[in-house]
Amino acid sequence: MTARPVRSITVRPRLRVLEGRRPRRRPIAPWMVFTLVVVVAFVGLALARTALDRGAFELAELEARIAQAETENTQLRLEIARLENPARIAPLAEELGFVYPTQRRPLLVSGVVVDMRDADPRWIEIDRLAAAP
Amino acid sequence: MAARRAARAAPSVRSRLLVVGMALVLAWAGLGYRLVQVQVVRAAEYAERGLAQRLTRKTVAPTRGKIFDRNGDPLAMTVEARSIYAIPDQVEDPLLTAQEVAIRTGGDTADLLAALESGRNFVYLARQVELDVAQEVEALDLAGVYSHPEAKRVYPAGTVAAQVVGVADIDGNGIEGLEYAYDSALRGTPGELVLEQDPAGRVIPLAPRSIEPAIPGEDLVTSLDLPLQYTAQSTCADTLERTGAEQCWIVVLDAETGEVLAMAGAPTYDPELRRASDGGSFSNFAVRDMYEPGSTQKLITVSAALDTGVADLDTIIPDVADTYEVTPGACRSNEDDIYGCFRDFSPHETRSMTVREVFTISSNVGTIKIQERIPRDTLVEYMRRFGQGSPTGIDYPGEAPGAIGIDPGCSSCWASAAIGYSVAVTPLQMAAAYAAIANDGVWIQPHLVTGRIDVDGEVSTVTPETRRVVSERTAWVMRELLASVVAAGTGKAASVPGYRVGGKTGTADKYGPEGYTNQTIASFVGMAPIDDPKIVVAVVVDSPAPEFSTGGRAAAPAFSVVMEAALHRLGVTPDGITG
Repeated sequence: MTARPVRSITVRPRLRVLEGRRPRRRPIAPWMVFTLVVVVAFVGLALARTALDRGAFELAELEARIAQAETENTQLRLEIARLENPARIAPLAEELGFVYPTQRRPLLVSGVVVDMRDADPRWIEIDRLAAAP
Repeated sequence: MAARRAARAAPSVRSRLLVVGMALVLAWAGLGYRLVQVQVVRAAEYAERGLAQRLTRKTVAPTRGKIFDRNGDPLAMTVEARSIYAIPDQVEDPLLTAQEVAIRTGGDTADLLAALESGRNFVYLARQVELDVAQEVEALDLAGVYSHPEAKRVYPAGTVAAQVVGVADIDGNGIEGLEYAYDSALRGTPGELVLEQDPAGRVIPLAPRSIEPAIPGEDLVTSLDLPLQYTAQSTCADTLERTGAEQCWIVVLDAETGEVLAMAGAPTYDPELRRASDGGSFSNFAVRDMYEPGSTQKLITVSAALDTGVADLDTIIPDVADTYEVTPGACRSNEDDIYGCFRDFSPHETRSMTVREVFTISSNVGTIKIQERIPRDTLVEYMRRFGQGSPTGIDYPGEAPGAIGIDPGCSSCWASAAIGYSVAVTPLQMAAAYAAIANDGVWIQPHLVTGRIDVDGEVSTVTPETRRVVSERTAWVMRELLASVVAAGTGKAASVPGYRVGGKTGTADKYGPEGYTNQTIASFVGMAPIDDPKIVVAVVVDSPAPEFSTGGRAAAPAFSVVMEAALHRLGVTPDGITG
């Protein structure tokens, strides 16, 4: 029996469990909040901008309508003034038969109208002249 | 081998990467430099240039103030109209365009065609047309034809008060009447609008803008009463028709305030159709035209006599003939008198007359004899006190001052002045002189505008000048004399049913380029109710037909109509005489 060399025994390293670092999960909540805030802010800004733009256009439209109404108002005032012009009304009144009265009879109310002929002798002289031929 | 090849290749890649990297760095550096240049170094300059491209400055035209009558009815106002213009290069068919626009605007096709073919870059086809007319033209969608808004001055009362209100031209500048006299107040102050526009000219809504608002012109409130003004004007027109006269002028004054209630003339014109008028009717001759007043002047002569005490109502003037020679030998015949001969209108026997009678029958000879009792300088002083020889100062442009043409060396001029010759006055001056008698001897400056209303609604009023010209008693006596003229003298046609009226007729030969003519200036100036006058009316009729040549025939009837309307308009209580 020959001696045979002992087969080399490969010593395999023994497996061992190493204490590894626990993989830490990245916190996503702040990012989500941040993202949400950004999105909300962006959308909010966009909405606000849109609202402002719409408001500006509405304001411009209202101003235009006010100007239009003022123009119409002025035109109506002009029309009224033209219709009220005595130079227009008087001939129409004549056509309808309206005339200045040719005979008038003033009513002398005691205490309201003073007949100066009784109160002032100068009127006697004027009446005398008036009665003269 | 591969490793060696890789080792040889490595510097090449690295150098290329280096080059690219360097290029990128340089590019970024350049961009950065440019960014800093644009955003930091020259930021202000670029911002300014950008803004200048977008910014537009527009002058905001102020609204011209309105003119109202005393009741708030508008006599002049500004409305929006549109002006139609063309860019001739863009017009495809000039003839068709001219025809279409002319049909709708009332323009002349030939004129419009000439404008379109004039070679100019811009031509107006119609200025200040009504909005609906402009809309009609716009609806045609004619190539090269556009419109823009423009303010237009309108006169809703038309011919009524046209000569007083005056006119503003197409650019809104007052050129006549109150429009001219108060132009600076009516015009207002222009403002400025600064805004941003996009390249297409649209206003950027949210862009910053600044507005310096225009300050509208002040509104004028006049003393005119529109219905009374119409009555005066139509009465003047009727008087022209009735008497065949060339012109007629009427002034109505509020005796207590000096306010002009009406100032009318015939012929007149429509301010909105003034281009069709001949221009002769534009001017307000009640303020600008002078005439010799004739017997209406006797009011001043007799007032001076009474006020100075040289005569009283019942003072006897002896030997009043119907002819009087101041210059010996002047009276040759009715057709051949020379200066210095004075005749009464109607022949009468020589007799003594009271001052009352002289005035009532309007004796020229008697009045001259009264004048001879007054120191000459005193007579002139009274004429000036009553406002003759100088403008009244009414707020109306171009007022004539009148004239007292008494040459100290002229022996007959004093007699002439006493009966209304050698003196030139305006209808307004005579109305104001009579208003002084109506107002217990106090002359009040006549005026047309009683208030100005600014943009805040603040009203500023005017205080007219006043001065005493005769005593209260003299005024009282003169009113009695004026009443006797209407009651029993030459002015019977001036009576008004229900009221005591006083006034004086005037008939003066008209002076022409070659001396006195056969035509007359007939007038009547009076007041009512005579015991406490509220209204003074002056009527002047220029060159009536011979059968209407006197103030009693031509002017007194018109006075009666206008005075009655004025008394009714002011609600003056009838004072006891029925008619």
